[in-house]
Amino acid sequence: MIQPQTLLNVADNSGARELMCIRIIGAGNHRYAHIGDVIVAVIKEAVPNMPLERSEVIRAVIVRTCKELKRDNGMIIRYDDNAAVVIDQEGNPKGTRVFGAIARELRQLNFTKIVSLAPEVL
Amino acid sequence: MRALATAAAIPSCVQFHDYSQEPVHGLGLRRRRRCYPCARVPSSSRTTRFQVFLSQRPPDHNVRGRDTDEMFDDLLKKYGKVVYGSGDRQPPSAESDDDAVSLSFAVTLAKVADEVKAADIRVLFVKPLVYWTRFFIIVTAFSRPQIDAIGSRIRDIAEKQFNKVASGDTKPNSWTLLDFGDVVVHIFLPQQRAFYNLEEFYGNATPIELPFDNQSQFRS
Repeated sequence: MIQPQTLLNVADNSGARELMCIRIIGAGNHRYAHIGDVIVAVIKEAVPNMPLERSEVIRAVIVRTCKELKRDNGMIIRYDDNAAVVIDQEGNPKGTRVFGAIARELRQLNFTKIVSLAPEVL
Repeated sequence: MRALATAAAIPSCVQFHDYSQEPVHGLGLRRRRRCYPCARVPSSSRTTRFQVFLSQRPPDHNVRGRDTDEMFDDLLKKYGKVVYGSGDRQPPSAESDDDAVSLSFAVTLAKVADEVKAADIRVLFVKPLVYWTRFFIIVTAFSRPQIDAIGSRIRDIAEKQFNKVASGDTKPNSWTLLDFGDVVVHIFLPQQRAFYNLEEFYGNATPIELPFDNQSQFRS
């Protein structure tokens, strides 16, 4: 359940550390974003000497949420944090590696690039 | 993983675990109850038998205990002390057949890419590393029109010969990805290929020898 003003961790090595969601893309009038949704976010905290800087506006894909993700087979996945991966306008990830476990739903949502950079897919 | 909690519940198993956690007075019973945990009994009649048994249990379980002992003995004799798979698993031969089909598909796609002058073609067998696909094809193209050419050619061949449709990027992109399910094709511009360095990330994957001469040295 990500909405504007939510703070998210960054699950890649793009150089951002913390994001704040400011808009959910493609959700129309929906209030919350879930795993696989693209958001517009502001970088609230960044690693020094990296291409991305604080207060830059970027796009990101949500890859982990504290809110449970339900699957049709009854499996429920819930993470400890809200995390996103920074992407560019074309949908390519800005970092080269993704950290942590990632849900396979991202592949169905056409984020196979992020899935192929992830160390573990659930 | 640290940031993860997974919960899966199969109704019949839950029933059994609940039951085994109840205090059991007869010592002989405990062993047998525990050793028949989640064996998937396929027929529904068996499940109903257990449910009846659960509801009957409480006060006079000494008398009932013998019945259940016999019942469990029967079941143990019949099924043994093993946990049963769900039955939808394929035999290893079918799996290797699937691998062979995907391999021929992957090699064909690599050949097609070679015909359109893609450079540095690598086919990696990644099935042991990731469960979600079998083969990666990593290819370098030198311009967006070339990426477009390679992508559309691969799509055509896959649709005509193998009847598979790709998901993934539709427009040429600096990293274009075509996802055929068992085979995933990555088409990179040289810069992006060096940047993402997928070969290093999947360094433990087995490279597949390609039948044609891959003349990357002369081009790059």
